[in-house]
Amino acid sequence: MLDARYPPGSRVVLLAPPYGADTVRELSRGLVAAGDPCVSWDGRSVYFSGKSSTDADWQIYRVSAGGGRPEVVTRVPGGAMNPAVAAHGELVFSSPVPKAGTLWTTQEPAALYGQMPGEAPSRLTFGSDSAVDATVLRDGRILYVTSEARDTKHAVRHLEFFTVNNDGTEVTAYACEDGGADRIRRPRELGDGRVAFLAAPAEEPGPAGWAESVKSAAPFATRGKLFAFRSIGCRSVEPMGQGEVLACIDSNVGAGRMMIGTAKVFRVAPDATETGAPLFGDPKWDNIEAAPVAARAEPNGHTSALNLKGSYGTLLCLNVNFSSKPAAAGNLAPAAQLRIFTWEGPGKERTLGEVPVESDGSVIVQLPADTPLGLDTLDAAGHVLRHQPAALWLRPGENRACIGCHEPRNHAPQNVRPLATMHRPAHLDLNSATTGPQAPKP
Amino acid sequence: MKLKRVLLPASLLALVGTGATFGGFTGLRAHERLRSGLPKLALVSCTHCHQRSLKTLPWAKPRRHHDAPDGMAVSPDGKTLFIALNDRDEVVEADVASLSVKRRAKVPGGPFGLALDTAGKRLFVACRNQDTVSVIDTAGLKVVASISVGIRPTDIAYCQTPSGERLVVPNSGSNDISVLSVLPLLELTRSAAGREPYAVSVSTDGRRAHIANRMAVHDQVLSQPASEVTVLDPSTGHIVNRVELPSAHMAEGVTEVPARGWVLSSMIRVRNLVPITQVKDGWVMSTGIAITREDGEATQIPLDEANAYFSDPSGIVASPDGKRAYVASGGADVVTVLDLDRLGAWLARSGEPERSDAIENMALSYRYVSARIPTGRNPQHLALSPDGSRLFVSERLDDRVLVVDTSSLKPVGRIVLGNGGLDDPVRLGERVFTNSRYTFQGQFSCRSCHPDGHVDGLSYDFDGAGVGDNLLANRSLCGVAGTEPFKWNGKNPTLQYQDGPRFARVLMRTDQIPEPQLDQLATFITHLPPTRTLPWSRVGQPLTPSEERGRKLFFATQRTDGTPIPVGRQCQTCHRPPLFTDRLLTSVGTRGAQDTTDVFDTPHLIGVGAMAPYLHDGRAKTLEEIWTTYQRDDLHGVSSYWSKQQLNDLVEYLKTI
Repeated sequence: MLDARYPPGSRVVLLAPPYGADTVRELSRGLVAAGDPCVSWDGRSVYFSGKSSTDADWQIYRVSAGGGRPEVVTRVPGGAMNPAVAAHGELVFSSPVPKAGTLWTTQEPAALYGQMPGEAPSRLTFGSDSAVDATVLRDGRILYVTSEARDTKHAVRHLEFFTVNNDGTEVTAYACEDGGADRIRRPRELGDGRVAFLAAPAEEPGPAGWAESVKSAAPFATRGKLFAFRSIGCRSVEPMGQGEVLACIDSNVGAGRMMIGTAKVFRVAPDATETGAPLFGDPKWDNIEAAPVAARAEPNGHTSALNLKGSYGTLLCLNVNFSSKPAAAGNLAPAAQLRIFTWEGPGKERTLGEVPVESDGSVIVQLPADTPLGLDTLDAAGHVLRHQPAALWLRPGENRACIGCHEPRNHAPQNVRPLATMHRPAHLDLNSATTGPQAPKP
Repeated sequence: MKLKRVLLPASLLALVGTGATFGGFTGLRAHERLRSGLPKLALVSCTHCHQRSLKTLPWAKPRRHHDAPDGMAVSPDGKTLFIALNDRDEVVEADVASLSVKRRAKVPGGPFGLALDTAGKRLFVACRNQDTVSVIDTAGLKVVASISVGIRPTDIAYCQTPSGERLVVPNSGSNDISVLSVLPLLELTRSAAGREPYAVSVSTDGRRAHIANRMAVHDQVLSQPASEVTVLDPSTGHIVNRVELPSAHMAEGVTEVPARGWVLSSMIRVRNLVPITQVKDGWVMSTGIAITREDGEATQIPLDEANAYFSDPSGIVASPDGKRAYVASGGADVVTVLDLDRLGAWLARSGEPERSDAIENMALSYRYVSARIPTGRNPQHLALSPDGSRLFVSERLDDRVLVVDTSSLKPVGRIVLGNGGLDDPVRLGERVFTNSRYTFQGQFSCRSCHPDGHVDGLSYDFDGAGVGDNLLANRSLCGVAGTEPFKWNGKNPTLQYQDGPRFARVLMRTDQIPEPQLDQLATFITHLPPTRTLPWSRVGQPLTPSEERGRKLFFATQRTDGTPIPVGRQCQTCHRPPLFTDRLLTSVGTRGAQDTTDVFDTPHLIGVGAMAPYLHDGRAKTLEEIWTTYQRDDLHGVSSYWSKQQLNDLVEYLKTI
């Protein structure tokens, strides 16, 4: 997909004030194509996706903003893309790089990886669909784009923003649930309480789109246009501080059409009603994405409690009947069993087993780690009440809890002791489709 | 021969030395075994019994005092602000226009809460440290009268009633409310409140006083706790209602909104019954406002946002026109501005299910929060000028008062009281202790669970190897210096370890507190003195007869009939003075169905009277329950021979420690 977005000859360049064409300095020297830039929190380094030859995989490169030759920092089979930097210099990226047009249909979905300086990458996401376009929020979570409906029959799936900790725990929907079938990509936290991103029509994937945002105070309820002016043709938005946004917009592009004109870089003030004069707009340069090279506050880290030698995690659901979605066929019966399945490829689900639901709707179960997990709630007759696609996973030693199944988002739990915690968790295994015994604790 | 002369004495000396050493060691171990009552001595050393003097502990030594602003009161003309400096034993008179301090008055006893009479001629001061209310003549700024009230009064409100002028005083340490007449200055009634009545607000007509109780209490350890808004008639001092706020906790502020018939109280919504598998989405706690209507119906709404939290809400005030309320968040260094018109509209169009669910909806507050005003460190108390044009914010740990123009919501300046004490390591530690920036999304600070360094009276199910099997009672940090190791399993050798990597993993869910700040935090905690449980007038006084009988029971080595009590089951063996702990793990027969161990760290007992609930999982609501409901086979001290009177005596003694 990067081959289409960044064709041979694409470059990552540095523009210095006053941002004229004569100030352009190439940072991706020696590479046949490059793009997808990300600036480190200290403002000293630029990471980007690059390709050393036309046949080579895309990998992540790093170059000093002060100059020098780029050095490759990933060497992963299938390539790497979408660099982001987390706390303590950890590089986050997606791998493998799908072929053009196959991002949401490939048999090998792209996963997120984290790589501390000098260490090997470790996988962070284990969902059934690709996880791409990561950015790091100030609270330390990694925000990315994925789809949780991998097993639906629709060709165009609905994309959502999810977050995950930098050890792969607590995968959680963040925004854009049930928001239509738009393509969404390239989220960025603006620092003024909003997360900006690009949206485009689903039926015609391409880089052209418009800028939208959600308020982090209520991300599922506040999706709207980022700018007060028309932003179709927007190719990137980045925070500039003081509420300003650095936006790359091609005003010649109509909605849903591939970019044909020359984009310009704008520095957009808060509440601006028009783009104003471009910061940079030389017709010799086909600007794709622009990011400010400046130091910003480093995001928080996350102290992991994982036991990576283990093979299981524990899932506690406080009430599987608590949901924002109606049950199938209007069935009002409470769930009696929870069926857990894993995803082994398109159309290939394998049931791990069923566990009983307590009278308060709570369930606790120990499950294989690092595996896509889906959930079905079943009534006493075995009919499916609600279906949760295999978009979740547990890391080894992770204790994870949720308040319901497809529960209302951004909800805190009620302060009630779940009955399921009075028992040992049921245990389900990849190698066994049997239900583990639910023995009382001693 | 010469060699023999040397070798023989040397061999004898070595033999004697070895024997003496071995014998001494054997004797020592026998002594330790005898005195500790423990069969296994792997962890026992001399210092477990032969403890250091309390005088050597950090909290017993002189410390620096600071100009931290606490309660405030604004003169009727809005020109003068009075500020209580609890740590200085002073009250400050400041000029609002010039933002300058005009006069300082010495007020013994730790002034904390302030109230002015209608004319602004008399300032009433609740003195927390010595359980008094003082009256200051504002003309001369001198104390003209004083009276004793309950333990640790934290606030005071003045009103005029048909029966005359009244003062309402919540006594946080004795869990009651004093109602005083002003002329003469007399205590008319002292009524039982909830746990830790902390803040009071009276209606403008003097008909009602509402008292926010800081602590939630529960019937059983796994039942939902609730705090109380106590409603009182200031004229008679009679309680007219007790409004229960389920899972509402740490209510430190209360204010009336006369135009709407509301009473607003700041609160933490605690979720201690849910295993702490995560902190995201307010899983452990979140902050909110309880709206109590005149008919007693209460609705709790969130103060936080879906991805940002504003911890430790404390002072709250409402504008005279009832259009706005302001809430100080001491952990987040923010004052939140609530648009009460928008809030009222949301309440009006929301049905009962939405209102009852509101506090769990972390994405609700954007509908009625109109601004967040950044402040200096640790804002706690708020005051509003009578016309509502100026908001005063006590920036406690900066020793300043922020003055905000409420029309623009911009600061107009600060009244500087001191230098912030940034060269005092204890003060620096308090800045860490009260700061929520060290937790994920700023969800809570150390203070959120340890108000004033003490307990919050709840048990939490901490994350561990499993889920739901680590229910532990919160423990006071007051007086913990010298009682290491910490944690109920005794695994944390230092406060730095307890509050560093362990908290980062289990609670904070972010990077651990950096080491310099961790050292400052430990310094602050070791300087927290034990909580005072006796009235100030009893401090240093001899024990009462009942307490003395209880003391003898505590140190008893034999039963009433002369039967010896095994050393390992004498109170004094494990709870050995002066720390009242041997700092060892002990089994007292309290292993619960979900516990993974029999043995727990022996807690110290200094200030134990204020540490409820008791036992490692908080199952005992009272000290009595330890030896009634939860005693088993005399494992927690031999109590089977005690009469009811003896148990009462013991409890009375424990409350003096």
